Amino acid sequence: MEKRDMALIGVAIIICVVICVLSPYIASGDPDGLEKSAEDSGLAEDFSVEEIKGIPDAIFPDYAFASNPDNQGLQIVALVIGVVVTLVIGFGVAYVVKSRN
Amino acid sequence: MHIPDGFIPISQCIVYYVILIVALYFSVKWARSNLDEKRIPLLAVLAAGIFAIMSMNMPIPFGTSGHMVGGALVAIVFLAPEAAVLVFTVVLLIQALIFGDGGITALGANVLNMAIIGGSVGLYTFKGLNGMIGKYAAAGVGAWLATVIAALACAIEMAIAGTFPANIGIPSMVLYHLFIGIIEAVLTVIVLVALDKFRPDLLAWNKGDA
Repeated sequence: MEKRDMALIGVAIIICVVICVLSPYIASGDPDGLEKSAEDSGLAEDFSVEEIKGIPDAIFPDYAFASNPDNQGLQIVALVIGVVVTLVIGFGVAYVVKSRN
Repeated sequence: MHIPDGFIPISQCIVYYVILIVALYFSVKWARSNLDEKRIPLLAVLAAGIFAIMSMNMPIPFGTSGHMVGGALVAIVFLAPEAAVLVFTVVLLIQALIFGDGGITALGANVLNMAIIGGSVGLYTFKGLNGMIGKYAAAGVGAWLATVIAALACAIEMAIAGTFPANIGIPSMVLYHLFIGIIEAVLTVIVLVALDKFRPDLLAWNKGDA
């Protein structure tokens, strides 16, 4: 890999980590557009159009540790894990599908 | 606009999964002839960056919040909505499986809205306006419109699912995303300006494709 590609990855990781560190503190906790539209439509919080069974619990529900969901330090850890996993799988997928010319 | 599990009946989720599989077929085909080795890191860092920025909800009016999505950005960077499909399938799958954000059953619908519709609206708006108002303004308008149209599509899917009535869901989703789209436009342009300055070789528009 070229040096400038390493630089691209390095800068991107720094930006991602900065976002991960800030996010638990400054991100708005207000409902997003879809959640708010659900409220506007009078949907209950646990609304479900039909019962869907067998969906495993998320490892880090709402980007937090299930055992300590309000701990912002652990939220940062969960987000950084997400960034690393996404980067690695992104590389893997791109490598597998890349052009063979 | 991540649709959770339970907002779309399984019978309809299957339809969106079929759309996802068809889109992935064309996206892999696109990558096989267009994704050269030197743009692999770009695709991976865009995926990681989109994962991160989606955690950063910013306040908008009406006691609501929104975050950048990035479908238009990826489609414009590669001049291909297929690239957005690849990136968003990875990001949304990780978010659904590990973080409980967006449903596993709703993955097809979420990729449809954010990548297929968002990416296509963003890219073709950009292409249509590029010659008239310049590439950055065109990208900004494309990103804004991508957010609004993706939200409209999401609201229509909710109406078909019987989750929101169309007469409330459509105006609500569109209204909030008129504002969330501004966040999308600003951040999309910032990333494009930065890439054009530091790594112009990675932008497909500099290869004379635009």
